[in-house]
Amino acid sequence: MKDFITGNEAVAHAVKLCRTPLIAAYPITPQTGIYEKLSEWEASGQIKGIMMRTESEHSAMASCISASLTGVRTFTATSSQGLALMHEMLHFAAGCRVPVVMANVNRLLAAPWGFWADQLDSLSQRDTGWIQFYCENGQEALDTVIQSYKIAEQVYLPAMVCLEAFFVSHFMEPVEIPEQEKVDLFLPPLDLPHKFDIEKPGFFVPVVPSQLYRKYKHMAQVSMDSVKDIAIKVDQEFKRIFGRGYGIVEPIMIEDAEVVIVTAGSITSTARVAIQSLREKGERVGLLKIRLFRPFPVEAIKDSLKGKMKIAVIDRNISLGGGGIFCQELRAGMVHSSDHPLIYSYIAGVGGTDVTPEVIEKISSDALRRNKPEDLPIWVMEG
Amino acid sequence: MILEDKTQNLLRSGHSACAGCGLAIGMKLVLQAMGPKTIAVIVPSCEGAIGGVYPNTSYGVPTFHSAFEIAAPTAAGISNALKILGREDIQVVAFAGDGGTFDIGLQSLSGVAKNNDDILYVCLDNEAYMNTGIQVSSATPSFAWTGTTPRGNPSRKKNIMEIMAAHYNPYSATATIGFPQDLRQKIIKAKGIRGTKFIHLLVPCPTGWRTPSDISPELSILAVETKVFPLYEIEDGRRFTINYEPRALPVQEYLLRQGRFKHLTQQQIQKIQMDVDEEWDKLKDKAYRFSGKRKRGAQ
Amino acid sequence: MRAHLENYYETAIPISYGSTEVFETGRWSFQKPFTRFKVAPCQEACPAGIDIPQFLFFVNEGMMEEALLTILRENPLPGVCGRVCFHPCEADCNRAQYDESVSIQALERYASDLVPNGLSIKTRVDPSSKRVAIVGAGPAGLSCAYFLSLLGHRVTIFEATREPGGVMRWGIPEYRLPKSILKREIQRILTLPIEIKTGVMVGRDIPFEELEGYDATFLSPGAGINISLAIRGDDLPGVLMGGEFLRRINSDKRISVGKETIVIGGGNTAIDVARSVLRLGSKIVVVYRRTRDEMPALPDEIFEAEEEGVQFEFLAQPVEISLAHRKRLAIKFQKMKLKGLDQKGRRRAVPLKGDFFILKADQLIVAIGEKADLSWVPKNYIRKGFIDFHPSPKVYAGGDAIDQPHTIVNAIASGKRAAISMDLFFQGESNEDLTSRIGVGSKGSISLESYLFWKEKGQWPEPKEVVSYPLINTLYFSQSRRVQIRRRPLEKRIRSFLEVNPGLKPNQARFSASRCFSCGTCNYCYNCYFFCPEGAVTLDPDRRVRNVDFQHCKGCGTCVKACPRNVIEMRMDL
Repeated sequence: MKDFITGNEAVAHAVKLCRTPLIAAYPITPQTGIYEKLSEWEASGQIKGIMMRTESEHSAMASCISASLTGVRTFTATSSQGLALMHEMLHFAAGCRVPVVMANVNRLLAAPWGFWADQLDSLSQRDTGWIQFYCENGQEALDTVIQSYKIAEQVYLPAMVCLEAFFVSHFMEPVEIPEQEKVDLFLPPLDLPHKFDIEKPGFFVPVVPSQLYRKYKHMAQVSMDSVKDIAIKVDQEFKRIFGRGYGIVEPIMIEDAEVVIVTAGSITSTARVAIQSLREKGERVGLLKIRLFRPFPVEAIKDSLKGKMKIAVIDRNISLGGGGIFCQELRAGMVHSSDHPLIYSYIAGVGGTDVTPEVIEKISSDALRRNKPEDLPIWVMEG
Repeated sequence: MILEDKTQNLLRSGHSACAGCGLAIGMKLVLQAMGPKTIAVIVPSCEGAIGGVYPNTSYGVPTFHSAFEIAAPTAAGISNALKILGREDIQVVAFAGDGGTFDIGLQSLSGVAKNNDDILYVCLDNEAYMNTGIQVSSATPSFAWTGTTPRGNPSRKKNIMEIMAAHYNPYSATATIGFPQDLRQKIIKAKGIRGTKFIHLLVPCPTGWRTPSDISPELSILAVETKVFPLYEIEDGRRFTINYEPRALPVQEYLLRQGRFKHLTQQQIQKIQMDVDEEWDKLKDKAYRFSGKRKRGAQ
Repeated sequence: MRAHLENYYETAIPISYGSTEVFETGRWSFQKPFTRFKVAPCQEACPAGIDIPQFLFFVNEGMMEEALLTILRENPLPGVCGRVCFHPCEADCNRAQYDESVSIQALERYASDLVPNGLSIKTRVDPSSKRVAIVGAGPAGLSCAYFLSLLGHRVTIFEATREPGGVMRWGIPEYRLPKSILKREIQRILTLPIEIKTGVMVGRDIPFEELEGYDATFLSPGAGINISLAIRGDDLPGVLMGGEFLRRINSDKRISVGKETIVIGGGNTAIDVARSVLRLGSKIVVVYRRTRDEMPALPDEIFEAEEEGVQFEFLAQPVEISLAHRKRLAIKFQKMKLKGLDQKGRRRAVPLKGDFFILKADQLIVAIGEKADLSWVPKNYIRKGFIDFHPSPKVYAGGDAIDQPHTIVNAIASGKRAAISMDLFFQGESNEDLTSRIGVGSKGSISLESYLFWKEKGQWPEPKEVVSYPLINTLYFSQSRRVQIRRRPLEKRIRSFLEVNPGLKPNQARFSASRCFSCGTCNYCYNCYFFCPEGAVTLDPDRRVRNVDFQHCKGCGTCVKACPRNVIEMRMDL
């Protein structure tokens, strides 16, 4: 069934379809649409379960963690400041190996204040041990939430599905809403092995000695690494059932490309249009969309970019004193590749500024023109 | 008296609490009254130390060592999940210290109480941050010495019970280890009520209070008998009941047995006595208003 | 799909399933708590040495049979003592210093009354069982017979009257001690292997020498002779002796009294006589030479007498009795005043010179004391009008015939002391210094329980200190009043010999027993169990065991301080 809905509503549909019985949330613009939609359905009985209206995002995450350890599927959604407030519990969730799924609507972090799209909020949580997906549109957000449960519940790690403020969260698009029966078939009920058991009382997450802390971190890293393969398999299975697949990265017109533009999130959609127009002008420009950011799919990226000369990464975020975060990751990932592509870094769209096809075309030609990349990122101040 | 029920010790021996720890006594009594069909939440504090280092634990019920400020929502998450799973026969108890309740955990406790999530929250009040080595909290009484108030605490102790009452939660009660039967009855009563139950449990700390290791129960009784810590309960935030009529001993009998008060001046003792008397009068007013009895003569 | 985690199954996060019990935290300290029962002051004050805290524990638990057996270990006559004892236990009760003493006597009676007949009492089987003769079946004689039987000996009692009981049978009116109760108590004693020959008076019906055929003899003839006034007119008709009067009342003989009676004396006999006369319909005045405060009678008895309408005339002593009009007596009294102290430390009454008055009455009953008839006793056994407790190797004496307070419980105590002394004598052991070996405290009472401990273990029990009031942690007790004694309504009392005090109701008994501090005796208050931070204390009341797990006891001492009754103490761990 196709419906004309916002990205936030699409996410809510996914949570409903996954039969997530425990939702804990706290309002924050521009995520509130998800919280409201789910509340509406909870009130009307369309979703069976409990909506915990907590007094903060921090508590919402705390409740999701403990409910997960009790053995139920959980969901929360937040954005920006809320995600930052959750920070302590994000680490805790990963450390507790709970498959919590969270939608994060990418919004800039204060100060100064603003509500606009910017990926820094979730990218700042890069090291918390969460799986991170960046979605291009409402449909992808819906599908990714469903996929995330399937992945998270296999590796016992929490997953964050990111969608940009307004561009995705509030824009209305036609979205295909999967049939419940198919989702039920795709996603079996949660069966967490490490949950509270009255018959076998255990003390969960006690103080451990250094060597054990290292052991559990290492185990988590092994699990996190396995996500890359699992995510591909889950996506393929999803595609078989629902007819839509995304890959963990998506190469577009890349075979003969002289320059490959790398994007994540909604800029990808614009870039698709931009490279089409550049191709029409005879420029050999390709596009690589990074959908899975944690774990960072180095192998898939290397594979896609094999033999490419120039890569231009567009970052809607800035790590002050460093640069665009996707670019940093990409540069670090490519450092051992034999053909050493030149990697150009562009900061565009920060603070929710518009990244138009023209801006992308400009970036493309800038990269083609320059012989070698700068160490520091190039800020695109148009739009 | 011969106990009818053979109670189970759900706080196992061999834990690493200090000798004479009032908090360990408190947790033991609470868990005993809760019984084995309980999931406990603890937070970083002496509770964590008592819980033991992996792979051994003193807790005889499933226990989750959550983060400092979220005992209540953590417990609420478990409780709601149990409801979803149809396991409402299992009760959830959250233990947090005075720091985790009066200070850093106050917001999240308030959120849970507002939602009236079905948990029993036990504040193990030893009146300072003891696990980190005796620093002042908002539960530290006036003029008490702590490592961060070397000249005595300039603030008054927060009235957490009034804060809880303002949430209109179904049940809040004070209790202390020196009155184990009262404590047991309150826990059992709380178990029978659905919603957020709050127990303010005073647990003397020999290390932090600078007292000998053998008088924790006695001090807790003196706290009650001097009216410093009256035993009462509040139902639905409105109905106040005093559970025990104190002997109204002068506060010195409680204060001067503790090293943390040994520097008190006569004026400071008088001030404490005045505060205690005032609080007691306020409490009595509320209790009498509820019971409908006329206020007794000045006493 | 979980293959990658297979090895980590259930261990994706650290969960402690082991127990901290493997850690021997008991090594933190070298001090450990030990349980040691001690003696309560009430127990020390009881001449019979009853384990009062223990029996009150049982009463509080509703275990009445155990309660009664506890009393019976040291005192064969709880139903009697529960009514007429002067209860020094209550005077020394630690609780008296806190609020009011525990109602020990009433509870003794309660336990005794509640247990039905047929309680079986264990006796020892002694292969070298001896034969003992006892003269007199009063409280001392019965007590001696009882304890000797418990120790496995065979006893023959020679009782001069037609029924056993002595002063309990003949000297105490029904309204204080119903005959049915006494009968029950004596029957319980006589279920033991005891032969009793009533109506046999030694010296009259059989010669004293016949007793020498026994392995030992206990002389407890009681004090059967009334001391007379020794004034002019004391032989006039209408002048009766108190003891004799009570004997007639207790013989179910119809007895008539005049309209007005005067009783001389201030002891229990005087009060017993006065209240009995009152019940027979006479007006009654008790004349005593000192004041109310000096009266030796029990305060409750005096109070009840006053309540019933007995009048008192103090500071007066009869000096002459003469016949008046219509066979009435005219008694001339000397007014007295109190001055100084006598040898026993009592206020001395001295005449107020020239101050006399006359009272008239239909009869005068003299109740100024009794003494023993020792005409049949070898002279060398007697000193200052009393038999020696141990006048010859095989002979012991007790009760009112020896020089000790004339009370039933003292009589019982002397019987017990004699029985144990004899048992030691039979084994060729020294029977000196019993108080320090098996004494209950240091006030002279001894314990059969402790003696049996020696018989079984071959060593004298460790001496126990008495728990004084400052050793009680009163923080654990809230103040309460003792139950007021119930009495039958006055109008019913003064018209019959029905028992005045109907005893405690079950809820009163339970409450009264719960007031006991249980000084020096664990009564399972569970404080040590509740307050042990280590969970190292276990209590098993069914088996009366209290254990401390020393592997985990950190020696904090909380249990020692939290034991309100001073039962636990710290010792260096060896």
